[in-house]
Amino acid sequence: MTETLHQCWTAIREEAKARRNAFKEAAVPKIHIGMATCGIASGAMETKKAFEDALAEQNIEARIHTVGCAGHCYAEPVVVIDHPASGFPPIFYHQVTAGKAKMLTNLFLKEGDPRFEHVYGATEINELIPSVMEFPRFNQEKRIIMEKCGRIDPEDIHEYIAEGGYETLVKVLELPPEQVIAEIEKSGLRGRGGAGFPTGRKWALARRAHGENKIVICNADEGDPGAYMDRTILESNPHQILEGLMICAYTVGARKALIYVRAEYPLAVKLVTKAIEQAKELKLAGGNILGTGFDLDISVFQGSGAFVCGEETALIQSIEGQRGMPLHRPPYPVEKGLGGEPTVINNVKTLASVPPILEHGADWYRSIGTENSPGTAIFSVVGDVLHAGLVEIPMGVSLRTLIFDICGGVPNKKKFKAVQIGGPSGGCLPEHFLDTPIDFDSLTAAGAMMGSGGMVVMNEDACVVNVSRFFLDFTQKESCGKCTFCRIGTCHLLGILDRLTKGEGREGDIESLESLSEDIKDGSLCGLGKTAPNPVLTSIRYFRDEYEAHIREKKCPGKMCRPLTAFYIDLDKCARGCDACVGCCPVDAVFTTRNRKKGIDQALCVKCGECMVACPPQYDAVRKVSPPELAPVIERPATKESHP
Amino acid sequence: MAHEEILSEQEAIEKDIRSRVAAFEKARGNLIPILQMIQEKQAYLPPEAINTVAAHLEIPVCEVYGVATFYNQFRFHPPGRHPVKVCMGTACHVKAGDVILENFERKLEIREGQTTPDREFSIERVACVGCCALAPVALIGDTVHGHMAPSKVEGLLLRIRIEKEKAEREKVRGER
Amino acid sequence: MMLNILIDDKKIEAEEGKNLLQACLDNGIYIPNLCHVKDMAHPQASCRLCFVEIEGEKKPVPSCSVTVREGMRVKTDTPSVRRLQRSAFHLLLSRHFIECKVCPANRKCELQKIAKFLKVGLKSNYPLLLPKAVLETGKQETDESHPIFNYYPNRCVLCGLCIHVCRTTHGIALLTFAKRGIDTVISFYGEEDVSRLPGDKCLACVNICPVSAITLKSLS
Ligand SMILES: Cc1cc2nc3c(=O)[nH]c(=O)nc-3n(C[C@H](O)[C@H](O)[C@H](O)COP(=O)(O)O)c2cc1C
Ligand code: SF4
Ligand code: SF4
Ligand code: FES
Ligand code: FES
Repeated sequence: MTETLHQCWTAIREEAKARRNAFKEAAVPKIHIGMATCGIASGAMETKKAFEDALAEQNIEARIHTVGCAGHCYAEPVVVIDHPASGFPPIFYHQVTAGKAKMLTNLFLKEGDPRFEHVYGATEINELIPSVMEFPRFNQEKRIIMEKCGRIDPEDIHEYIAEGGYETLVKVLELPPEQVIAEIEKSGLRGRGGAGFPTGRKWALARRAHGENKIVICNADEGDPGAYMDRTILESNPHQILEGLMICAYTVGARKALIYVRAEYPLAVKLVTKAIEQAKELKLAGGNILGTGFDLDISVFQGSGAFVCGEETALIQSIEGQRGMPLHRPPYPVEKGLGGEPTVINNVKTLASVPPILEHGADWYRSIGTENSPGTAIFSVVGDVLHAGLVEIPMGVSLRTLIFDICGGVPNKKKFKAVQIGGPSGGCLPEHFLDTPIDFDSLTAAGAMMGSGGMVVMNEDACVVNVSRFFLDFTQKESCGKCTFCRIGTCHLLGILDRLTKGEGREGDIESLESLSEDIKDGSLCGLGKTAPNPVLTSIRYFRDEYEAHIREKKCPGKMCRPLTAFYIDLDKCARGCDACVGCCPVDAVFTTRNRKKGIDQALCVKCGECMVACPPQYDAVRKVSPPELAPVIERPATKESHP
Repeated sequence: MAHEEILSEQEAIEKDIRSRVAAFEKARGNLIPILQMIQEKQAYLPPEAINTVAAHLEIPVCEVYGVATFYNQFRFHPPGRHPVKVCMGTACHVKAGDVILENFERKLEIREGQTTPDREFSIERVACVGCCALAPVALIGDTVHGHMAPSKVEGLLLRIRIEKEKAEREKVRGER
Repeated sequence: MMLNILIDDKKIEAEEGKNLLQACLDNGIYIPNLCHVKDMAHPQASCRLCFVEIEGEKKPVPSCSVTVREGMRVKTDTPSVRRLQRSAFHLLLSRHFIECKVCPANRKCELQKIAKFLKVGLKSNYPLLLPKAVLETGKQETDESHPIFNYYPNRCVLCGLCIHVCRTTHGIALLTFAKRGIDTVISFYGEEDVSRLPGDKCLACVNICPVSAITLKSLS
């Protein structure tokens, strides 16, 4: 048996390596373009087309290599140009629009001038150009899960194999499953889906459970409205997830595997489906894998968009064609899951961590991260940070390092106010928690949680009450409606928060929020309801004064709640007749005063802030205040001048 | 297009859907994939389709309805030719995505979840489209528009209307 | 095999495998409940009223989803149990249109019974979450789409018993939960063909509804 295994595998691997080497060693320039959803959204398609056209026009021979996303969303569309003949190392360019693509083709590819003013950095250390590896955004990350993301073409299995992919699966297929599980247990890997359950223990339970048709499921439902790393991994390196899933299936004794991806992720669905087909073609999936007699049927199930379907029992219900309403646990899916069979459900990142762990060993993995949370964590850091995007860091790094060193801190000289971690189930932490190490237990202790890995940085202009309202609005809409506390309780929480943000808060509202939150937490059936009040509870705990300001002074300290703010034009600063703000107002609320300065009609103003953006910086005349009464009253002249 | 032509086109779609539904194995687990297929073909789930699915899977019609109404993905009314989706994800919210939504609502004179009477536009909210770094974000059709501002809304809609008029003029010219 | 368990200060015996709520009810110990029915394979555990405290567990648990164990010690009347029960009950009331005098469920209504047991009134602590039109006109909504039954969404507590009983009686359920979250309702969608229905011969759903949210058309 093993002989055929090795023969088959060696042939596949050698073929993959030969292809890669041929590509690498070709003397022509290579243009690597990031083409995951974020890249495409930023215009990568147009960029690619521009390169193709320019290359044809200039008659230059070059290879365009489409890759996934490496997480540098602030820099999209990202292009790396490797032009060996120019003498320069491969160069990372950011925000490569179609125009830039044409210019780089003409000047760099044709004439060898890399246009230093557009260079972000070289991808490797060299003597000519500073390397991106000298930037904290690059060198303080530790890539295990996303190691190959953005480097390989997700649509070509050979590229993954040439980089060492599927080597671990082949190794595992010859080991006793118990030994593999023991290694995973020893590594201390904890589930990246949010709760941090030890993966090895889950697998061991599933292995011991009785059932003829065990199933393993990759949970790629990713419902947090501010997290997108699972999608990025699916779109950038689907094979690493497949490999992890196959190893999981082999060790627990399953013959069926499912990848549950939300239908809103069409590109991810397409790429994983393709990856499965390619794996089948090479006999790495399907019947009798690599001649070992191990069968595994892998398919994709598209989730129909319900946050609650990320919860294990609801996820199973939806695969069975039911309404995605969670069931009381126990029984847990590992005992009785899909179709009553033992079912292992693991997150994308959990599964993608498995091949590297087994490749390098549990001790290596344990050497990264902290004692109780080994390994790395991926966050999608968004909001008021300079270098937004996906960041993979070793556990134990402090929030400060992540936000300020790696992501460049808060831009525009604004002050940091809070960071919301873990999406709708997580919490909001203030400045004095910045030195908290990032790991499962420390974040939970602080009142936030790892959750989905969504991280929103807020500056002084954000309002925590408003952000809590946002999350409650989300959970309220996404509640499955099964149990009383979550179905009705979240509506009442939202109702109170709604009033607060409109300046209709009353004494006692904070206490009502707290006590109802505690009840929902203790009384709800599933994790959605149990964690839904977290954003409210933590923000009250750390920013009670802001809640009080909303209630007592009808004031929004972050000036974010629109009913509590007003815009006005400082007449001392307004330049006579500049008119920049007049045209930009979507509701024609800006009028001209008798002395040709501008005023804002408070009754019409929708507080969109456009005029503040439009006012030329040298005048900087538009002011935003809270409470709205602080805006001086400027009368609108009776007729003609306002409307020509 | 003549009235009969539209009708027969509609019939052809329905026939196509019936045959595609029939190709699915009669298993309850196929309910959601079948609904997804129909929605992909028709952009929404018309009542007949729900009956077709129930008949094929041999389950009560209400059961299909109960499942379909649970999930965000399924719609029961046809969307506009240019569906506007405004991102209401976390990052976009912090960057005032609601202002963008309001502007679309004001300019199109419909609310979120509705379609304009001429069926040209519909508005819906979506959660994170995955380009938070471009927040606030809106999609028209499949095109992502990043760094949205209220003042950009009008321009985008105008451009679509102008293109439509141009296409119509050309069509008229072609027919002459 | 019979197991011995201690509920508050009362020793009871319960059959192995039975759920705790049923064991209590069988022994004359009342615990508020709406979504429980004897012999349901998997408890719905959705109404969140049947909380009890079990020795060794940190927080109250819904008794309908607990299987009895030998020597189990249970408390049904602790402050945290009552707090959750009252809170859940008030939440349900905030979605419930009170019209006892004309309601067919008057005097046999489970909500009245629970209110009495929990020593609370029928007025919710929370603002009413009923549709605007209902609050303004004082008239509740009625779904009259079904040929035989009327459904009153502002009465329904979404206990799901009607669906359960329909399924156990006919093998399939001719009514279902529809929509999601706060908008969840019971729906008879598509059942306008009287010939397919058991008709007024089977009134299982009408009879089981604890709040008369489904009634026979001919009677209303
Ligand atoms: C409301 C809710 C939403 C969830 N969403 C997700 C999700 O989108 N992705 C995910 O992997 N896990 C999600 N989970 C956690 C899963 O239920 C489950 O714990 C996880 O997939 C297990 O995988 P792990 O052990 O690898 O973490 C969610 C849980 C709840 C309660
Ligand atoms: S907590 Fe919310 S989502 Fe979970 S079962 Fe209850 S109603 Fe459904
Ligand atoms: S109609 Fe009656 S039985 Fe059915 S869910 Fe509503 S309250 Fe329960
Ligand atoms: S929140 Fe809008 S794109 Fe992510
Ligand atoms: S009876 Fe236990 S939760 Fe309803």
